Amino acid sequence: MHHNPIVIENLTYAYPDGTKALNNINLAIEAGEKLALIGANGSGKSTLQLHLNGIILPQSGKIKVGKWWVDEDNLREIRNFVGLVFQNPDNQLFMPTVWDDVAFGPKNCGWQEQELTQRVEQAMLMVDIDPSYYAARNTENLSGGEKKRIAIAGVLAMKPEVLVLDEPSAQLDPRSRRHLIELLKSLTITQLIATHDLDMALEICDRTVVLSQGQIVYDGATEKIMSNPNFLLEHSLESPLCYSRPYCSLRDC
Amino acid sequence: MNAFNLDIDSKQTTFWHSLAPRTRILCALIMVFAIALTPNGRWWTWAIYGSVILGIVFFSRVTKRVMLKRIAVEFAFIGTVLLGTLFREGGEIVWSWGFLRITTEGLTVLGSVTIKALLSLLMLNILTLTTSVPALLNALTALRVPPLLVATLASMYRYVGVMMREFQAMRTAAASRNLSRNNVWQRFVIGNMMGTLFIRTYERGERVYQAMLSRGYRGVPIVEKVPSGGRRDILVLTITVVLALLGQSIYLTQ
Repeated sequence: MHHNPIVIENLTYAYPDGTKALNNINLAIEAGEKLALIGANGSGKSTLQLHLNGIILPQSGKIKVGKWWVDEDNLREIRNFVGLVFQNPDNQLFMPTVWDDVAFGPKNCGWQEQELTQRVEQAMLMVDIDPSYYAARNTENLSGGEKKRIAIAGVLAMKPEVLVLDEPSAQLDPRSRRHLIELLKSLTITQLIATHDLDMALEICDRTVVLSQGQIVYDGATEKIMSNPNFLLEHSLESPLCYSRPYCSLRDC
Repeated sequence: MNAFNLDIDSKQTTFWHSLAPRTRILCALIMVFAIALTPNGRWWTWAIYGSVILGIVFFSRVTKRVMLKRIAVEFAFIGTVLLGTLFREGGEIVWSWGFLRITTEGLTVLGSVTIKALLSLLMLNILTLTTSVPALLNALTALRVPPLLVATLASMYRYVGVMMREFQAMRTAAASRNLSRNNVWQRFVIGNMMGTLFIRTYERGERVYQAMLSRGYRGVPIVEKVPSGGRRDILVLTITVVLALLGQSIYLTQ
């Protein structure tokens, strides 16, 4: 495992119309760390995440992923190193069957036959999706929770060292959300989770970064920021539910 | 409308189903080409092809009601083309009214084209009813169809359902705000919905492409190795070719 998988230095990104989506971002993530990325809609969370995978290349500033700088020449290594799970699983599950979809990434990496089968099965088992039951099923006719887990399996099958998730708990029912939280807690790889679900952030991540209008306004312990309702409110956020209920002790969160 | 299911008969176990999807595609294509390339007016050739196809309909145990319904819908489109072939010059005039003239030539062409279309549609509908779309796509890859084309077809199949759901949701939303004032207004709204759907599809396409890139896609889909067909597949293909030639040979002696 790489010691310092992600380092971002002075990253700035502006849309073609001049609006600054990211403004002078500096961030270093350590191996095995689980980091929550929170902020209002349009604060730049998704844009930042797309940078980590080389979908958007840095306009100014630098990003180092593993031992590679994010630029045109290293895209292949970067995309194997960082796995990106998109918010809407319908956009991520684009192959006709579950098996084909999970195998999409490994196939692009050049895996074949037995090794491919092994990787795909392993990834499906990691997210608690039974290969014998799901492999031949149509990706269209699945529940939201199943789709989400298969989307994660498709990324895990590439064996990335960093997992970047965009709103993983959005549109999930409570039980699927619970499954997802347990799944993410059980994975030991480095994770960067962008979310509005602050209860989930509190449960999974020790460290939190707050983005506001393209700038990092907080970077530190999750518990510390969650217990500062005024600061959260200032940046269009709100304390987690488990903090706002007086009869609920911190230990139960 | 939500259940978009082409291959309702793909789970059966008949001789036709035991053939590799690739063989089924090839058989269907050979038949369709043989049917379509037969010159007009060779009724006995089509009689042979027709009996072969009816044999497949019978042995593959497809759901006839669904098949006929689909053919009826498809015929509505072909009907407009067929109508044009009727008023053709040549041969004796059978019936005329003003400048419209129906001739024996026109009737022959109409009959021939109708039979061609009907038999071809029967064959292709059997194929799509009995073979799941992923299997068809794999078979196309095995038949060396360009991978990019197969990938395009695959994503079309994947997203038809999503688009139908989105359109349905828009219609429900419109109905819940009392859309039913009059016809013109309704058409206007549905036109707008289609436009919105188009833009959303475009945006979705971009996001899907990003998701593909992030999993290492580099512009060319990876082709898997597919096991080659068994002896039975070769036998069936040979029989199909022989039958196709047999149908043509009837008129050779005359």
